[in-house]
Amino acid sequence: MNGKDNIEEFLRSNKPQVKDDPTFLLETQRRLKQVEGIKAEVDRQRTNGRIALIVALAIGILLGATAVFIGYVCPFDPENPGQSAFAGIILFITTWKQYFLILAAALSVFLTLLLSRTRNSSFCNY
Amino acid sequence: MTRERFIDLVRTEQEPLRRFLLGLCSGNASLADDIAQDALVRAYVASGSFLGLSKFSTWLFRIAYNCFIDNCRKATLDTVSSESFEAQSVLSDEGTDDSFRYQQLYQALDRIPEKERAVIVLHYFEDHDIKEISSIMQIPTGTVKYLLSIGRNHLKEYLSI
Repeated sequence: MNGKDNIEEFLRSNKPQVKDDPTFLLETQRRLKQVEGIKAEVDRQRTNGRIALIVALAIGILLGATAVFIGYVCPFDPENPGQSAFAGIILFITTWKQYFLILAAALSVFLTLLLSRTRNSSFCNY
Repeated sequence: MTRERFIDLVRTEQEPLRRFLLGLCSGNASLADDIAQDALVRAYVASGSFLGLSKFSTWLFRIAYNCFIDNCRKATLDTVSSESFEAQSVLSDEGTDDSFRYQQLYQALDRIPEKERAVIVLHYFEDHDIKEISSIMQIPTGTVKYLLSIGRNHLKEYLSI
């Protein structure tokens, strides 16, 4: 018998013995359940994101359409604004527009931070 | 693939899988089981991509082998010494003769490179043929034969057979 046969015989007759562990499959099932939970959470967030996007798009279109409609119905002449409440609002907006833009930017940053925090904390539950 | 179906398939494959990883981890049973759990989670997440072109066991062993390689890379980064593996393997075995024999075997396996160890374990402990090993490790059959030959020579030297 040569060395190759010896080592082959030694290896074949000394296969590692795995101790029977009933908790192994239970642990596997527990982990798979967690994975399913994470998968469901990711799907839920993806759906929520899509809905939010569609809602934002719809609101944008609606606001744009309303602005165009108002522009047609009540045309505004900046040279001769008049004394009406509508003219007052338009003048107020055009005068302070840079502050409105800063406010909108701050609000969007705040909402982004708030939403990302809510998402992180909901992930910790799994 | 549903969770129940996956668990059914795993039930029949868990023993060979754990034995394969036990050999790869040179007798460190807790590490082997941790990697096996990781591999099963990865397999479940990727179960949609299993098309049945190969056997389920071959596919599962391939994922387990990749998990083991990832773990080795992580361990190298964390500078975990191989001495800790050896110490655990000695403690985990019972029965003096068997314990001594397995201890020798595991220490010898621990001294050879991972690829040689994987080929030896798959061929001699799990009875996989060259083609299956090539599919699991994603290397050519010629390389498998070469690794098997040098792995055997290294073990022969370390085990003084």
